[in-house]
Amino acid sequence: MDLKQQQPTRLTAAWPWISTLARLGLAAVFLISGGLKVTDLAASGRAVNAYDLMSWETAKVVGAVQPFLEIALGLLLLIGIATRLSAAIAAVVLVIFIGGIVSAWARGLQIDCGCFSKGGELTGGRTAQYGLDIARDVGFLVLAGILLWKPRTRFSLDGLLLGER
Amino acid sequence: MSKGNRDRKAAQARRIVEQQKAADKRRKVTIWTTVAVFAVLIVAGGIGWGVLANQDKKTEASQVTTPSVAVDEGTAFAVGSGPVTVDLYEDFMCPICNEFEQQTGSTIDKMVTDKRITVRYHPVAILDEASNGTKYSTRSAGAAAAAAQDGKFTEYHKVLYANQPEEGSDGLTDAKLIELGKSVGLGTTFEAAVNDKTYDNWATKVTETFASRGYNGTPTIVVNGKQVEGPNNTLPTTAVFEQAVQAAEG
Repeated sequence: MDLKQQQPTRLTAAWPWISTLARLGLAAVFLISGGLKVTDLAASGRAVNAYDLMSWETAKVVGAVQPFLEIALGLLLLIGIATRLSAAIAAVVLVIFIGGIVSAWARGLQIDCGCFSKGGELTGGRTAQYGLDIARDVGFLVLAGILLWKPRTRFSLDGLLLGER
Repeated sequence: MSKGNRDRKAAQARRIVEQQKAADKRRKVTIWTTVAVFAVLIVAGGIGWGVLANQDKKTEASQVTTPSVAVDEGTAFAVGSGPVTVDLYEDFMCPICNEFEQQTGSTIDKMVTDKRITVRYHPVAILDEASNGTKYSTRSAGAAAAAAQDGKFTEYHKVLYANQPEEGSDGLTDAKLIELGKSVGLGTTFEAAVNDKTYDNWATKVTETFASRGYNGTPTIVVNGKQVEGPNNTLPTTAVFEQAVQAAEG
């Protein structure tokens, strides 16, 4: 047996599984972060407002709409429909989030990013950990990247519709 | 043409037709799933919008009972009559607010007595999620408004901090809020206001005003329009606060 030829085929066989993990992981990220915020939309609006990037009225709407979009995106990824498109939207959203954190960092704001919390201003000597927040979001961006590149996954509606096993 | 050749051609044609069918199917699936994705996102966004619009109704003028004694667009209770205005935005569930009260409260009281400052207390509710769904922040802010309406804000403010529940607990019950009110001499109007949640929507309104002014955390301490903080957004010490008041006095 020629090992050189066997390895690529093994990897080819593994990709749908790797992509499936990426898809479910990304789904969990959006479901959790949306779920944590959806219970208090006013707090979510205040978290958006803390970035000081838009008017309060706009921040309120963004804060209210965002958790629902996150949950919807999480569900789309969970069932695996139009996986490449869903992953592309997830990537765009993550890039916007990273941009927001970078901008807050650059302006020296001391806020909780609100990624997996209600966010807001940090008090009591807690300092913002923007580097970690960005690193985490970049990690999620990698998951989205895997799906953009190899959107074929197991247990997906896409696969079902196309008659794949 | 030989038979073998013809078979090959037929098989090739079948393969092409199958490939086209598969490509067709793929295209159809792509189009419809794309439509579905955008439809789901639009609906989700619409739900968020709708829920927000519904929540905003709570703070419409007709739904809000503003205590007649409230100042600053009806969002605060003034204590004292000094020339320097100190705005204090606080949440009765917030431990750091209590810390500030214990640390600097007596200094503030003295400045009030000396007619140096007017304190405007804004009871906001940003920690409603920290009381297991009982919305202690809103309830306590509403109760404080009821106390203010009956002329006992300062007393009730102190007793609320003295009995502050732990962040993340259920908070104090309405019965306990009423009991504390009675301990500082509040009567049946206060009791009714707490039970009827008369000022709860007002507390939401105060919180909105607080956020719309660009403040995010509690306590937010503002002296003559200038926010006072310790280094790195920490709680200012009493000395830092005193300096800010002195600076405002000119």
